[in-house]
Amino acid sequence: MRRRSEPREDLPHVTSRRWIALLDKRTLSIPHVPLRDRKYDRQLRIWGAHGQQLLESSRVCLLHCGPTGSETLKNLVLGGIAAFTVVDDAKVQPHDLGNNFLLDSSSLGKSKAQHVTTLLEELNESVAGSFVEESPSTLLETNPDFFLSFTLVIATQMIEPDVIKLEDLCHSLEIKLLVVRSYGLVGSLRASLQEQTVIESKPDNHVENLRFHKPWRELEDFAMSIDLATADDILHKHTPYAILLIQATKQWHATHGPELPQNAREKQAYRDILQSWQRRIDDVPIEEENFTEAIENSRKVFAPPGIGREVQMVLYDPKAMELDPRSSDFWVLAAALRDFVEGEGEGCLPIEGSIPDMWATTELFLALQRVYRDKAERDTAAVRGHLARRLASIGRDAAAIDAKTLRNFVKHAHCLRVVRWRRLAQEVAPGTCDAAALRQALGDEDTAANACLYLLLRAVDRFHTLHARFPGCYDGEFEDDVPLLKSVAVGMLAEVGLASGALVDDLVHEVVRCGTLVYNAMASTTSVFQF
Amino acid sequence: MVSHERWPAVTRTDAFKEKVSKAKILAVGAGGIGCELLKTLVLSGFQHIAVVDMDTIETSNLNRQFLFRREHVGQSKAVVAAEAVKRLRPDAQITAHQANIKEDRFGIDFFDGFDLVLNGLDNLDARRHVNRMCHAARVPLVESGTSGYTGQVSVHGQLSRAETPSTSQPAIEAECFECQPKAAPKTYPVCTIRNTPDKPIHCVVWAKEMLFQRLFGRQEGVSDLDSHQAAEPPSEADKEALALQKDDASAFLMVPGESIEGYSRRIFDRLYCSDIKRLLSVQDLWKARTKPKPLDLAELVPINAPSAGPSHVNGHANGHPNGTSEAAVASASAALGLTDDHAMWSTADNAKVFLKAIELYRTVRAQDLGAAVFDKEDLLACEFVTAAANLRSIVFGIPTQSLFDTKGMAGNIIHAIATTNAIVSGLIVGEAMKLVANMPHKCRVSWLNERPNPKTVINPVELSTRAPDCAVCGPALLTLHTNTHTATLGDLVSQVLKGSMGLSQPWSITCSDFMYEEDEDLEEDEADTYAALSPRPLKDLPGGGLGNGAVVSIADQPLLEDGSPARKRSMQLIIRHQADWDGQRDPSQQFRLIGSVPAPVPPAGAAEGQKAGADDDEDDVPLLMENGAGEDEDEIVILPAAEKRPADAQLKRKAEVAEADAAENPSPKRRRAE
Repeated sequence: MRRRSEPREDLPHVTSRRWIALLDKRTLSIPHVPLRDRKYDRQLRIWGAHGQQLLESSRVCLLHCGPTGSETLKNLVLGGIAAFTVVDDAKVQPHDLGNNFLLDSSSLGKSKAQHVTTLLEELNESVAGSFVEESPSTLLETNPDFFLSFTLVIATQMIEPDVIKLEDLCHSLEIKLLVVRSYGLVGSLRASLQEQTVIESKPDNHVENLRFHKPWRELEDFAMSIDLATADDILHKHTPYAILLIQATKQWHATHGPELPQNAREKQAYRDILQSWQRRIDDVPIEEENFTEAIENSRKVFAPPGIGREVQMVLYDPKAMELDPRSSDFWVLAAALRDFVEGEGEGCLPIEGSIPDMWATTELFLALQRVYRDKAERDTAAVRGHLARRLASIGRDAAAIDAKTLRNFVKHAHCLRVVRWRRLAQEVAPGTCDAAALRQALGDEDTAANACLYLLLRAVDRFHTLHARFPGCYDGEFEDDVPLLKSVAVGMLAEVGLASGALVDDLVHEVVRCGTLVYNAMASTTSVFQF
Repeated sequence: MVSHERWPAVTRTDAFKEKVSKAKILAVGAGGIGCELLKTLVLSGFQHIAVVDMDTIETSNLNRQFLFRREHVGQSKAVVAAEAVKRLRPDAQITAHQANIKEDRFGIDFFDGFDLVLNGLDNLDARRHVNRMCHAARVPLVESGTSGYTGQVSVHGQLSRAETPSTSQPAIEAECFECQPKAAPKTYPVCTIRNTPDKPIHCVVWAKEMLFQRLFGRQEGVSDLDSHQAAEPPSEADKEALALQKDDASAFLMVPGESIEGYSRRIFDRLYCSDIKRLLSVQDLWKARTKPKPLDLAELVPINAPSAGPSHVNGHANGHPNGTSEAAVASASAALGLTDDHAMWSTADNAKVFLKAIELYRTVRAQDLGAAVFDKEDLLACEFVTAAANLRSIVFGIPTQSLFDTKGMAGNIIHAIATTNAIVSGLIVGEAMKLVANMPHKCRVSWLNERPNPKTVINPVELSTRAPDCAVCGPALLTLHTNTHTATLGDLVSQVLKGSMGLSQPWSITCSDFMYEEDEDLEEDEADTYAALSPRPLKDLPGGGLGNGAVVSIADQPLLEDGSPARKRSMQLIIRHQADWDGQRDPSQQFRLIGSVPAPVPPAGAAEGQKAGADDDEDDVPLLMENGAGEDEDEIVILPAAEKRPADAQLKRKAEVAEADAAENPSPKRRRAE
């Protein structure tokens, strides 16, 4: 909780008058909020300083800078990545004008990559841009080391065989890969990473770990220090519901044994304890807001949040179980956290330190908050101890992971996540493709159209491999291309043992008709589903 | 060719491309959504676009409003955006208006000149206005908004323009923007703000709306809070407390001969010491509350402490007054070395920032005094509000806040990123294309979610039909052609209102400030006043006159066939001036009325059974977000109402948020640029 606290006497004003004069000059010459913060203010309020820092350390490689690639990179440059490199061997053609906002007639005949880079650099002076005038597929063959310096590769408008090769390379170099495609009024986006570990996953509904069911000693002492029976009316109706629930739970255990209320009858009996404590007039309970809150929140006792399945998966992931000197900080921290849960935590995650708003006097609320905050401090210190041991065990310095990182990790222990992606290569190969999932998606009314388009976009690439052109790219061959594309798609379905009935003729027509046309509105929309 | 008449195949036809290139588009707003929208429009082949935005470019726009560069800060958004997109498509005709869309010159005729209106606005007030204009001018409206990762695009109004009345195809009408109620801005009871704050926001509202205004703003703006009638009477204790604080505006003025330091210290003492002591004297207020603790400035910042330092009055000449220039930004916290926006200032720090900010306003920002308006981009204003609110929080035992957080609360800052705006503007153009293709049945309302819901991030839903009782699009819309220079009010009443429209008493017509009514129960002097207006030409009536494009609201209560009173009826009448009509020569040909008066409907109650079923779906309809790419929305409205509980029940930490209907309780503060 942020509360006015220790007075800060370490400020320059107490040192000397010369300081002041200096500062005053600064008042009038340099804005004290760094420009960076002002420029990024609206997004800092979404992903915080930590998120911004991650963004600002990203080096992005864009393959092909058509409308889709240009729009994508624009959004990242505005957000403030560290650097980007554009790879494209094309010269600007007349048809490029008018659907790519970074090109105009003055760029005709010049290198597309160069022109796009220059204009993107203008969007944000803190981002460094560069370009390579070469075809992405050639670069992939001739100079794979080129990709080493990037944290993210964005492949746009590339066909499947090239994408599979690129994925191979990115995986071996541990580079994140995003595959973006716009095709007529259809778009697709696919991430391919080995794993992504997330500390701040920002879940929609988070139930605080308040430990009403299992208070630690200080919390229980604090809760029991209030004697409801003798409290005056004001204290009685301003005793925070946390205290009411802890007292009720204690009484429950005294009368019903160690098990928490399980069924509806027991839960009602538990709530009856709370109700029996309410003040009455003529035996009718008077309305007390804190008791209402306690009854509403009693489910936090019956169903304590515990450790979610996804967090369990992190704690007991093989990578957290078996550390080695190459383990990332996340996995070392996860191991230390598991040590805590299995040790001092007695099966619980560390206390987060914040408490929800509750009906209370300011004094009681702050005192209660202090109890939680102190416990959070102690828990963090315990995890720090485990962390030092874990680091030592893999030959790293005990201070290799700083206190701020640790604190952030512990604070978000309840929302840790690990996400792993299936390789694209596995997804498309007949032997490893998940035919059952495809069948289900094609059969389900809600997903049929999308599944069909997914298949057709892949069929288009296979068409390209077979015929060295995209279907429908020449006006005259439109009528011929519809059955050709359809037969390719049917063949792909057959390879994985699926019938062709799921193919929607209208969509086949549409995909052939729209050819390789890229709509800017579509490019603009597709380009952004990545962060 | 028949297959090309389908969506989206039609988009590849030359006929469609031709329609797109000829369509006249009005884009309202050139901010976060606006920049993306304008770019996508011209790259999709639209060539006739007018853009209206009254704002100038700020540094904090640059993370997403990509048509703007650092060197454009301070210039008109509309003008710079128009120039930028013109470079993309030199053949496009882009007209920029740096203006408020609510200005008179953007009347019905202006809206009528467009085929489509696309909104990228940042506030509910302007959205409502554009909605009404679109309804009156019968132009389809595509509305949009974003907030963080979420956004929405919706389509409203008459979607197919009945250009050729002979076609059998009926006009498709979707609900208007106001058919569904909008979430009202949060309000706070004035007694809580003035006497008994218990949340940080209460102190921020106090500092921003009351104190900032009183010290640096326009003096007449201050009284808003005092003069409003409370919806519920304040408790006796509150009344007593309020009385103690009344009529002391002069105390906030600088006394002749007073030094700036003396002045700022006197204000501090008054706010955080003597006012608090006075509040403490109202003992009933504190029976069940924690008592506030007055602050002693001499202890926090001893006189002659060097904290306030000497001021350099020079060096500001080249700076923009509200902090948009990179050079010469007045900052109290920088002067004190408080460089971390996210840090919590100590009590002494807050006091020093408070004193320093007043000093800077009195010196380098003296030209703003008496006219300053709180602006979230104005660093000094944010610093002052942060310090003043924190000091009050300290007095009342409420947690304090960082500059960053206070700025977010005081400025009602809406999170905004480029990606969401890009998606939403792509969707807007998609809807625009369907409307241009005259395929309104393909239009959808799209919701952009932060997470897949259940499986997709963008959820399109069918358009809703009009709400029959909508106050905006519900009333029948009629058009009246006449020569407003020659036709008189008397003619209008006798020939149109009582004549062809057949209104029954009591009825009334209103148009902005002008009102005329007929009712048996009118007072004699009222009837005389109305009679005196009768011979006046329409354009010379009070309140600006009923000139071309005026929208007149008409209400009456007709009788049913059985003679019993029907439901009250409302209509809107748009006046069309016909300069070449000479009513003098042929008085019977003065007016041409287009549209029909709705038939009387039995009063509510008779149709209730039906209505219950119709409401079933409403739970699934998410409220439209009110925020556009900008962030001035949801100004905090201080509702001058008494707290709803008796004093002894008020000891709590809960927010006491009174929901007020924004339409009935417009914000007492005007938006800054108006």
